[in-house]
Amino acid sequence: MKRRSFIATTAAATLGTQVLGNVPLHAYSPVRLMDTLADDDRVLIVIQMFGGNDGLNTIIPAEDPEYYKIRPNLSIPQAVAKKVLSRIYMHPALDPAGTYNLRMMMEDGRLAVIQGVGYENPNLSHFRSTDIWLSGFNSSDPNKRLIEGWLGRYWAHRIQGFPETLPDHPTAVQIGGTLSMLLQSQRGDIGIALTDPDAFFRLGQGLSPDMQPLPEDSRYSKEFNFVRLVAEQSDRYSTVIKDAFDSGKNTVKYADNGFVRQMQLVARLISGGLRSKVFMVYLGGFDTHVNQQNEDYEGLHPFLLESLSTGIGQFMQDALAQGFADRVVGMTVSEFGRRPYENGSWGTDHGAGSVQLVWGNGVKAGVYGNNPNLSDLTSNGDLRYQWDYRRVYADVMETWFGGTPDDTESVLEERLLPIGIFQRPSSVSDAFAGRQQLNIRAYPNPVTSTATLEWEQTVPASIKVELYAMDGRYVETVYKGRVQPGMMRLPVQPSQSGAYICNVVVNGVSNQVPIRVLH
Amino acid sequence: MNRRAVFTSLLRGMRREELADAQPMILEAGAEEYTQPLTLDDALHLLRRTGFGPSYTQAASLVGRTAADVVEELLGDDNEPAPESPGAWVDVWTEDPQGADLATRNQILRQWDVNMSAFAKWWLGRMTNDPSMIEKITLFWSGHWVTEYEFDETHSIPQMLYRQYLMFRRNRLLNMRTMALDVTTDAAMLYFLGGTFNSVGTANENYARELMELFLTGLGWYTEGDVKEGARVLTGWRTQMFSDAPAPNGKYESWFDAAAHDIGAKQYLGVTIPARTEDNNTAFQVREEEVGRIIEILHTARAEAVSTFIASKVYKYFVYSSPGDVPTQFIADIATTFRNADFKLRALFKAMFTSAHFFDPALRGAQIKTPIEYLTGLQRQLGVTIANPDVWVANMDQPVMDPPNVSGWAGYRTWISTNTYPVRRSLAAELIKSMSDEQCGTFISQFPDYTDAKKFVAGVVQFMLPVPVSQTRMDFYLSALLQGAPDYDWPSILADEGAAGGRLRNLLTTISKAPDFQLC
Repeated sequence: MKRRSFIATTAAATLGTQVLGNVPLHAYSPVRLMDTLADDDRVLIVIQMFGGNDGLNTIIPAEDPEYYKIRPNLSIPQAVAKKVLSRIYMHPALDPAGTYNLRMMMEDGRLAVIQGVGYENPNLSHFRSTDIWLSGFNSSDPNKRLIEGWLGRYWAHRIQGFPETLPDHPTAVQIGGTLSMLLQSQRGDIGIALTDPDAFFRLGQGLSPDMQPLPEDSRYSKEFNFVRLVAEQSDRYSTVIKDAFDSGKNTVKYADNGFVRQMQLVARLISGGLRSKVFMVYLGGFDTHVNQQNEDYEGLHPFLLESLSTGIGQFMQDALAQGFADRVVGMTVSEFGRRPYENGSWGTDHGAGSVQLVWGNGVKAGVYGNNPNLSDLTSNGDLRYQWDYRRVYADVMETWFGGTPDDTESVLEERLLPIGIFQRPSSVSDAFAGRQQLNIRAYPNPVTSTATLEWEQTVPASIKVELYAMDGRYVETVYKGRVQPGMMRLPVQPSQSGAYICNVVVNGVSNQVPIRVLH
Repeated sequence: MNRRAVFTSLLRGMRREELADAQPMILEAGAEEYTQPLTLDDALHLLRRTGFGPSYTQAASLVGRTAADVVEELLGDDNEPAPESPGAWVDVWTEDPQGADLATRNQILRQWDVNMSAFAKWWLGRMTNDPSMIEKITLFWSGHWVTEYEFDETHSIPQMLYRQYLMFRRNRLLNMRTMALDVTTDAAMLYFLGGTFNSVGTANENYARELMELFLTGLGWYTEGDVKEGARVLTGWRTQMFSDAPAPNGKYESWFDAAAHDIGAKQYLGVTIPARTEDNNTAFQVREEEVGRIIEILHTARAEAVSTFIASKVYKYFVYSSPGDVPTQFIADIATTFRNADFKLRALFKAMFTSAHFFDPALRGAQIKTPIEYLTGLQRQLGVTIANPDVWVANMDQPVMDPPNVSGWAGYRTWISTNTYPVRRSLAAELIKSMSDEQCGTFISQFPDYTDAKKFVAGVVQFMLPVPVSQTRMDFYLSALLQGAPDYDWPSILADEGAAGGRLRNLLTTISKAPDFQLC
């Protein structure tokens, strides 16, 4: 199946249809350390937003008058933008109704927004800049050929015996299309492209050519070996994928949308026990030169944002319900942003620097960096970048996949400091009793009537539990008193629907636990 | 042990060296002309690379002739007559689906899909039956100057894409400049890259950027300022798409809206294009003096870049596509020939296809067949056709005139993935299975010495696979044909059409499993 048929832009389709309350969620909020998690369980989902996503119309600089000057047609008025946690404004399309979504994930501590991600000397070619992003090499020199992905290099070196022996499960799975450069390495592709597990199984079995590789001493034999490896992978992995697909499940009714379906498939494969480390999904159409958005703040770009938010939200909800949420993080990549000044076709041309989203229970949620400074553009009229995109890769390799700075250096050919976007297992064991951050869980979350706050209290303590609205306004005090050591379970029953922060103060130390109430 | 297991163990037991004859790694030949009389292998190679798979009789008929002679003939005439129309739909007006009610909108879109499918089937049929290079070179240009059938939330109307096909076909051997000019004001291109929305004061940079980055020079030969100025030059051109829109030049053609053109002076690649007055702001004048002018500037101020960029594209498409292994000197030599011929495309193709480099053994079998080559080539070689070829090529990731993005198909190894390889194998299996006993008989009898089993198998392997295979593999294929019968029984098997057909299909199926079946 053609990739684009799979991710078909069913523009007219309504995205969110399902209701949260039906699904048994057991969220862990706020998400804390995962020191017991084996490296082997960890999964990264890369969402490629091809075309160059307009960061200024994703996270809205709604308090910057300059934004409204340079975007007379396309700007999102402050009143229309969604204000989240008193900190940022999101495009309303990121908050689709009737589904768990990115706005809620931000409030629940599952989303990190990195402002101004880019690189030095931005290249405004889709293809070169995509190659720069996917290869992890920032080189605009057309003579420097970028032919391997940073994840391809990283995993090709970590898989034992690759490529002579293939691991039991594909290290990476790309949904749809032909295999991205991201997953290629000079030593061979580290993964497979997959569209339909049933078709793959039907067609893939028995495709092994039963021939050994040729010595790589000619151009012919190199291509022979390449095709042979793909045939071998088709044969071997078609069964593995089918097994995972058949034993996996989805517990959420996903929206009928091409991108969302890709996320649904990923969830089902993980649920079914596929031990791939990397999944890649694709959302194209961000090259919004023309008719990016209409007067009602709808249209192409809002549709894409809605798809993104719905896909991630529903995946997350499914992962929470099935208990694998702690194992998965995701990140968006897009080759560049758009020019701050809109063009005359209700669109925007290629620009530098954009917003990157990193999500999952394993992220340190929040906003990294400042709103873009629209009064200090480059000579080409573009945004200045705040974060080198490769620093996020360093986070992935060193923190998420448990690598070392040496891995970063060998993959990126440069030592880069991770931003610190993922949670690290804490080494603090000497905090004196009773005065430390606690692992406080709220369940169920979202909640329809009574939520329970639960944690293990090791010393006697004085406790206060206050409820705040997400914008910071005080609502009520739920509990106040002294407790003895033991398992603590405190009921919380907010009277109105909405998102709250439970501020649990234990011996003077504040622990903030977001909860969501759906009456 | 069943038969498959016997075959398998036979192949598994082979030492690596026994799977194929060693091919040379060192690529010695350059742009000098290949003057030796063509062998059968040479002729097969030439037809595989510049057409859609050889027919055996055509290849045999070229043996002994020179490359120069053959290539000149296969390129076709500069003024080849246009083909017969694929159907009345090409001149049918279409309504604008935007704003129409849902039922009408769906009906319009369905009709476009029907038209697109008809167009794709028609073109794939032409490719299958084309003994020349005409359709292959047209397909190359269509993949170079990209437009997509489906993009964003909209479509290029098939009627426009058909006209664009004719434009590429007409221009395929002419001058690079005139082709560039025709593309720049082509209705489908104006719509696809936003030119039709490009107006004075609010320029849309999309086409101006790709004209250089993807179509003529490649990266590194212009500034962002040149992109912006180029966009101003290109303001005002409009696509006539729907029956209710003004159509000064007829159905599905472009036209010039003078009021939308930026008449101010522009600076392009260091050259000033003077301002014009309202009185001199006509389609003809702007096309000649501004659009034509920036194309001329690109072909003079960036002559080397343009010639090298186009020569590299042609090289990757027809000769060898590994991005990490590019013979820069050879491409520079071909580019020089191209420039010296004042950017005449015929000269470029001829120099490329008659070079000793093109025929160098180090490049044989090193190219992955594109899905369209694979499908049309198999149809041509096996003498059968498949239903819905447009769907098959789409399932192999090459829908006709609908590449994934504006840079076109990435080519090279992206053609083969765990998504598409199983489809390729299944297509070969379907085509082979569909060969009737009679068609098998026709296939068999085209080989000289076909009554000698060993010579026949050698002939089929030479015809179906790109490089000679080892004796061990040849024996394996012989056993796939004879299925246990002694080879002296082959003539008597031939007397039984059903028995011979079954055995041929088994041989072809076995060959189709080899990795190098995907190569040419």
